[in-house]
Amino acid sequence: MIKAGQIDKGTALLIKGQPFVCIDREFVNPGKGSAFVRLKLKSPSTGQVLAETMKSQDNAEDITVEDKDLQYLYNDGTNFAFMNVESFDQIEVPMASFPDYEYFMKEGETYRATFWEDQVLDIIIPAKIVFTVAEAEEAVKGDTVQGATKYVTTETGLKVRVPIFIKQGEKIRVNTETKEYLERVNK
Amino acid sequence: MFDIESQKERSLMNKAIRDFFDSRDYLEVFTPTLSPDLIPEPTIQNFETRFINEFEGSLDMYLIPSPEVFMKRLLANGFPSLYQISSCFRNSEQLGLIHNPEFSMLEYYTLGFNEIDSIALTEELLRAVKRPQTPSYALPPFITMSVSEAVKAYSGVNLDDNQEYERLKESAEKLGLYVPNGESWDDTFNRIFINFVEPALPKDKPVVLTDYPYQIDCLAEKYQDKPYRHRWEMYINGTEVANCYKEETSKEVTKTYYEKEYEKLCLQRKESGLPIPKIDPAFYELNIPSSSGVAIGLDRLLMCITGKAEITPLLLFPLSDMIQNGL
Repeated sequence: MIKAGQIDKGTALLIKGQPFVCIDREFVNPGKGSAFVRLKLKSPSTGQVLAETMKSQDNAEDITVEDKDLQYLYNDGTNFAFMNVESFDQIEVPMASFPDYEYFMKEGETYRATFWEDQVLDIIIPAKIVFTVAEAEEAVKGDTVQGATKYVTTETGLKVRVPIFIKQGEKIRVNTETKEYLERVNK
Repeated sequence: MFDIESQKERSLMNKAIRDFFDSRDYLEVFTPTLSPDLIPEPTIQNFETRFINEFEGSLDMYLIPSPEVFMKRLLANGFPSLYQISSCFRNSEQLGLIHNPEFSMLEYYTLGFNEIDSIALTEELLRAVKRPQTPSYALPPFITMSVSEAVKAYSGVNLDDNQEYERLKESAEKLGLYVPNGESWDDTFNRIFINFVEPALPKDKPVVLTDYPYQIDCLAEKYQDKPYRHRWEMYINGTEVANCYKEETSKEVTKTYYEKEYEKLCLQRKESGLPIPKIDPAFYELNIPSSSGVAIGLDRLLMCITGKAEITPLLLFPLSDMIQNGL
C-alpha cells in the first residue's frame, strides 16, 4: 500500500485488478481543505487513460515492478517485437499501447522496459537519440536567410525540423521529448 | 532566463494596487513575515525557524502563511481600513505551475464591509490593474454563484439535503467516488468539489463562489439561518486566486475555533513530523471590529492579467529552478 500523495510519475498501481502507470500528477489544495492529488493513469494493455482524484492520505495499491533491457527488433504494424537481452526470449508489445513510440524505435537499439509479472508497463525512450536522415529536401539555392530550416524524415519516419545544411544520409541528434533537432553528429 | 518584461508588469500591477487603495483612504501597513505565533490552520504547513539570543532567550518562529495574524491585531487597535502586499510562505506544496512556497500576497480589510461589498470592491480592483493584453477571462463582470448552486449544477448533489454525514457519503458514492469510513463532512464535500465542481467552473469570466459550507471551519462568520459561512473564493480561468471572509468578531467563537483547530493541527503534525506552530491565546481576546478581508495571490493575479498559464516564468528565482539548477 502507498499513500496517494506519494504516487509519482512512473508509479505502477493496481486499480480494480488492472495495472496502471501514473503518467501525470498534480496536487490540489481546496481552500481550507485537505490536500488532494489529481492523477492521470495509463493502462499499458489498452492505452486507456484514467483520471483519478484522491486525498493525499488515501491508500492505493502499488505493485512491484522490475526493469529489464530489451533489444528492439521490428514492428509488424500491430506489435513491437523485442528480444530480452538476458534470456533471449522474444516479446511482443501492442503498438496501440504506446502511441507514436514507433518513431523512436531503432532496430538493434536497447531500451529499458518496466515489467509487472510478464506484462510490459512502460518503455523508456532515451532523452536524446541519434537518427539517420532518410529523406531530406534539397536546400533551395540562394536561400541564405539566417536560421532557415527545412523538414527531414528519419529512418524511423520521424519528421524533424533542421537547419538547411543537413543532407540525406547524415546523422542528427534529436530531443525525443520535444522532437527538436539538437545537433549534427559527425561520427 | 530572466524575464524583464514580466518584472515591469509586476511593478505596474503593484503600483496600480497601491494607487487604488491609497485613493480610497486605506492605510498601507508593513507587518513582519516572521512571527512567534500563527492562526491555527491544519491544512497549511509552515516553515519553522529559530531566533537565537543568549540574553533574551531563544524562540521558535514561523514564516507567516498570511499577514492576517498581524493585520487583525491592528484593526483591533483602532487602525482604519488596511492593505498590505507581503511575502507569504506555505510549506509542502507542489512546486511549479501555480505554486511556489514563497509567494506574494495582497490582503485588504475594509471596516464595516460584508463579503458581498468586497465583491464589488474586488471587481473595481481588477478593472484598475487590467492591462491592454489582459484576456477577457480575467476581466469583470464576475460570475457569482453560491457553492450550493455550483455543487447542484455540476454534480447534481443538493447540499441542503446532504447536511447529515451519512447522506453526503451516500451521494458521493453514487457519483462513483471512494469514501473511506470515518471521514469528516468537509473532506467528503471536498472530494465532490474537487472531482466535479472545480474542473467544471466557467472559464470565460472570473467566478466568485459564495457561501461556503459552515463545516469547513474558518474565521468567516456563519449565517444565522443557513448552514453556510460569509465566505467566497474567486477562480480565474480555473485557478483559485482570492479568498474573502466577513470576519468573525465573536471572541467566544474565535476561541472555540482556535482550540478545536489547534487540537486537530497538533494531532496531524505529530503524525507527519511537521512543525507545530505556537498560537497566542491573547488573539481571541481581541476586539476585532466588523470588517471584510480579502486575500489575493499576486503571482497568480499577475499570471491572469498577463494571460500566462503558469506563475514560474513570472518569478525571477522560482524555487523549483533553484533546487534543480542552483542559482
